[in-house]
Amino acid sequence: MAQVLVDREEKIDSARSMRQYLRHSRWPLVALGLLLLIFIWRVFFGSNQPLVDIVSVIILTLSFATPITLGALSGTFSERSGVVNIGIEGMMLTGAFFGALVGALTGQVWLGLILAPISGMAIALIHAVLSIYFRVDQIISGTVINIFAFGLTAYLYSLIFTSSRRNADAGILPSLKFNIDAAPFTLGLVSVLAIALIFVGHYILFYTTWGLRTRAVGENPKAADTAGVNVFKVRYINVLISGFLAGLGGTYFSLQVVGYFKEGMTVGSGFIALAAMIFGKWTPLGAWGAALLFGFCQAMDSALQSWYGQIEWLHTFTQALPYVVTIIVLTGLVGRSRPPAAVGVPYSKQ
Amino acid sequence: MRKNSSASLLVVLSLMTVLLLAACGDNTATTAPAATTAAAATTAAAGTTAAAATTAAAAGTTAAATTAAGTTAAAAATTAAGTTAAAAAGAGKKLKVGFVTDIGRIDDKSFNQSSWEGVQKYAKEAGTEPKYIETKDTKDYAKHIKQFLDEKYDVIVTVGFLMADATTAAAKANPNVLFIGVDQGQSTVINNLAGLVFEEDKAGFLAAVLAAGMSQKGKIGGVFGTKSVPAVLRFGEGYKAGATWMDANQKSLVKAGKTEVTIAYHPDGDNAFSDPTWGAQQTQSLIQAGNDIIFGGGGSTGNGAVEAAVAAGVFAIGVDTDQYYTLPKAAPKLLSSATKRLADGVYDLLKAASAGTLKGGNSVGPVGLAPFHDTEAAVPAELKALITKVDAGLKDGTIKTGVKV
Repeated sequence: MAQVLVDREEKIDSARSMRQYLRHSRWPLVALGLLLLIFIWRVFFGSNQPLVDIVSVIILTLSFATPITLGALSGTFSERSGVVNIGIEGMMLTGAFFGALVGALTGQVWLGLILAPISGMAIALIHAVLSIYFRVDQIISGTVINIFAFGLTAYLYSLIFTSSRRNADAGILPSLKFNIDAAPFTLGLVSVLAIALIFVGHYILFYTTWGLRTRAVGENPKAADTAGVNVFKVRYINVLISGFLAGLGGTYFSLQVVGYFKEGMTVGSGFIALAAMIFGKWTPLGAWGAALLFGFCQAMDSALQSWYGQIEWLHTFTQALPYVVTIIVLTGLVGRSRPPAAVGVPYSKQ
Repeated sequence: MRKNSSASLLVVLSLMTVLLLAACGDNTATTAPAATTAAAATTAAAGTTAAAATTAAAAGTTAAATTAAGTTAAAAATTAAGTTAAAAAGAGKKLKVGFVTDIGRIDDKSFNQSSWEGVQKYAKEAGTEPKYIETKDTKDYAKHIKQFLDEKYDVIVTVGFLMADATTAAAKANPNVLFIGVDQGQSTVINNLAGLVFEEDKAGFLAAVLAAGMSQKGKIGGVFGTKSVPAVLRFGEGYKAGATWMDANQKSLVKAGKTEVTIAYHPDGDNAFSDPTWGAQQTQSLIQAGNDIIFGGGGSTGNGAVEAAVAAGVFAIGVDTDQYYTLPKAAPKLLSSATKRLADGVYDLLKAASAGTLKGGNSVGPVGLAPFHDTEAAVPAELKALITKVDAGLKDGTIKTGVKV
């Protein structure tokens, strides 16, 4: 027992020194600053269409940030009620698949948009039952969801589409279209929905009774229970909301950008979303801000190709930046991020 | 401690289900719908005398071309350079062909699919039943090749540059089995390993001539899979070279006076060729920056780019196969495709293998531009004539792409 304690002390110590080291070395922030500097330089000195450049980066940022935004919001709801959700990626993938499946089979992309969040909820229900009713370790349960979703969607895809050579086209959701100086811009419906849902989420979480209950359950379920809140119900519903949002996030890939399903097409967005949620300190607006930061890095990477071509180091640098930022965020450098007190702890009445 | 042992049991159970599912959908060698199996091995010995492959003259040129489609007869007639005992023994044989895809599906509407079509064409004629294994992870290349070795396949076709090392190793270790490596340039000759390579830079060059001639704003874009694969990089570099050549030599056809080329390469990684979302996003970005022709290449990453371009009302150029047929969504605004005739190339090599004349080293497969189809009317006659001229020039060497990859 004593040995265990000593080990734990050492671990905390090394984590602390790591954090201190990262806090003293500010190069990631310098890197971000540099990126902003390039942006400003380009817009004010190097561009013959500054307005187009600005709008372009903004639109790309919003587009690229969409799945991360919805994923982070998804995580926020679940974790605020005290259930860790690292299964966002799996739920997104499920949403992407079932959205595309329904779209392809019925030819109605709208039905896909409706069914994707529902499929996300269905898979979230597995997570909820495992982690709330069976009180399984929530990390394990989330991991199971991720592996399960990948296997399931890949298997069903090959079963339904590959062997029969059935047409997998699901159609594409409409987008907002506008022109600035003859440059065409589009912002997808899902991206617009994501922005709206951030504010709806913020309102629900901080200005409604439901939100108060959710946060209470996440901080101190015993006290909430004593006050007459049904802890289990609150957690179940919030995990389902989480699944709904993640499933919707999946439609960005399959119904907004590409128009069909491709196995593993969410390419880790769910995990980046998790980082964005922590970075945003478990609040919808904060999570959005973090998602936009990640989106901005990707947008700059993309824009720089048009601006300066393939400058190898710059390119590598912007591509790596989101991940570097993720690591920095997860090591708790950028401000202290405090999770809900009861997150990850299954509740039982005894 | 949490008490529930039933809970952990549940988790284990669901994990097992997942693994089971994954196994079903994953690596099981899927039998292709091919002709009768019965005829397979029995007729093997029959034709052995037909091709006098044993008299092979030691032709030093390893890169001698297996030329365009339809020259299969010629391929059978070519003298075999360094034919091994294995190849000779396989003369006229109905070969069992195993096929390992690169990352991505067999129906990727791109290089896996086209190469597989070559295999299917051969197998149908030979009356054998080919099998394929889809690779999900670059770490599995060797494992998948071994699976075919264990099942005693005669020829193993591996697709993609990334599998070159695994293929070379397997070929060295199994001199009695023939290997065909698509997109795998051979630096040293291994007698039982034929690399099918293409001069993608020429196809990219032609694509650029078309794109530069069609662009209103003088801005053309390219979206490709990872540049660490030479075949992909050759497309991209050839595209750039073609635009430069147009500016220098055919100024009258370049509407904006000069052509600016922007190319986006997918970052390295397991999803470089299977990330249509990325391809579509980059295309969106390129279109916003004013590019009005998009050349997309590299598995479904490139498909995503081509489809996104067409969806945005911009002309696109496809890659590898005539994507007019494989990407029906893109058909209305698909100018052409920079093709590598993979199916023909693979088929020719399999025929050669069957005749016992498969050579080690490199075989150069045919490249070119696909027909314009729906955009026929949009392309000016002058430009069409130029493309034909440049194609001929590239073939006879009077026009050089200058790409060294």
